[in-house]
Amino acid sequence: MGIITILWEKWVEFRRDFYKITLAAMVAPLMYLIVFGLGIQTTSHGEPYLNYLIPGVVSLTTMNGSFNAIAQNLNVQRLYEKAFDQVLISPTPLWQFIAGQILGGALRGLYAGGVILFLTAPIQTGLVFSPVSIFILFLNGAVFSAVGVVVSFVAKNHADVPRFSSYIIMPMSYLCNTFFSTEKIPGIPGLIIEYLPLSQTSRMIRAIASGEEAGLYGIGVLLIYLAVLSFISSWFIYKKKNL
Amino acid sequence: MIETKNLTKTFDRFTAVDSLNLKIEKGEFFGLLGPNGAGKTTTIGLLSTLLLPTEGEILINGQVLTRSRPELKRKISVVTQEYSMRQDMNMDEIMEYQGRLYFMPRKKIKARTDELLDFCGLKDFRKRHVRKLSGGMKRKLMVCRALLTDPEIMLLDEPTTGMDALSRRQMWNLLRQLNQQGLTILLTTHYMEEAQTLCGRVALMDRGRLETIDTPEGLIQSLGKFAVDEITQEGTRSRFFHSREEAIAALSQVSGRCTLRDTTLEDVFVERAGRRLTPS
Repeated sequence: MGIITILWEKWVEFRRDFYKITLAAMVAPLMYLIVFGLGIQTTSHGEPYLNYLIPGVVSLTTMNGSFNAIAQNLNVQRLYEKAFDQVLISPTPLWQFIAGQILGGALRGLYAGGVILFLTAPIQTGLVFSPVSIFILFLNGAVFSAVGVVVSFVAKNHADVPRFSSYIIMPMSYLCNTFFSTEKIPGIPGLIIEYLPLSQTSRMIRAIASGEEAGLYGIGVLLIYLAVLSFISSWFIYKKKNL
Repeated sequence: MIETKNLTKTFDRFTAVDSLNLKIEKGEFFGLLGPNGAGKTTTIGLLSTLLLPTEGEILINGQVLTRSRPELKRKISVVTQEYSMRQDMNMDEIMEYQGRLYFMPRKKIKARTDELLDFCGLKDFRKRHVRKLSGGMKRKLMVCRALLTDPEIMLLDEPTTGMDALSRRQMWNLLRQLNQQGLTILLTTHYMEEAQTLCGRVALMDRGRLETIDTPEGLIQSLGKFAVDEITQEGTRSRFFHSREEAIAALSQVSGRCTLRDTTLEDVFVERAGRRLTPS
């Protein structure tokens, strides 16, 4: 029930800012596709680079869509509007609030990714996006929504979320199997990046899109991230003395 | 009934609330008063679970209040000192969000929203976004929101701050009515007249500690019902007397400008806390 309340709140927000949200979801990914896919026309593994790029861009769009939908919004509600206080005071079980945020954020990420899929549909790439792909994108969105919840709880001021975005989210956008394979990053950094959630998502989405074996252990990796981040969020909301 | 046992809250090395032991009976209108930094808002924060205590506990009807006790939290509504609403929602959405957070049926949310917005004179502005409301309107909306869920206990942290005199009087009447209907109210305020008019008992806090608890009349009586203000070049010096005769006798000995008046709750504060307690 509490989850529905939070989804309703997200829906009110989405309905009101529909055009802004849609445009914001489109701009950066479209630039990537135009510049790297259409402008600089190269090939990768004997195929147009665009075929490599689209799954990565859809994955990173899901990540950005989910993270941005939750982190900044919740941070403003907590530090500036104080609207979060009313949630904390209310009888809505706080785990349901977190679950609602994660679900709502995942849906926003999925919407953003869907917009890019819709826009790239006319390009005859032959890529396949199956229900499993949609599920993986949803899971990716859920992980980054949970990251958003944790970041918004940790943030001490309004600048902290954009800062986190610049230091963590933005580098991930470029390094996690999106524009090039993580195999090209040598040593321990390569190994660490390989097991970041976006790397796993991009890899699985790309494999499914190309009709290859996806190696669905990546779903397990995403689920572990989701469980750990949900636990941290719950700890903050139930135990932190001055949230 | 609300009870705090040895309630303590520290922020780093600063103790905002220090071993607070308080009992507020069901249906009581209780005032928590004190100068800035006395710990009133922190106490409200603790009672609403916005803050968690460093030590001690809060009991609601004998049961320990924590963030994971929805059945106890359902009984409590809070009007915080700061505006605490989404700026991008309109009044109807604010009320619906609150109702949903308290698991109210949608029909009831709608009916109560109509009733409360009408009562507070906000009905014509129901589609207006919070960011476009005046300070007084926001304050009234917060009170409407707190009343929406039919709470048993209402915590009000300076609820009339920013309201004009007329709205404040309306708010007083509303709170009095609600209290007469059985609502337990805990109020913090800087307006001593407000506390004196509304509260059955008041607690004085200073530097996180409870100084005293009594009825407003009891506190005034303890100081002396009559006050003589002597106005000098250094400022105003007040003296207090238990009988009018004593006060008049003192008045006759004053050579400069002076006045005789009833002692107020503010006088009690000034005397006890040793500071001037005017609205900030």
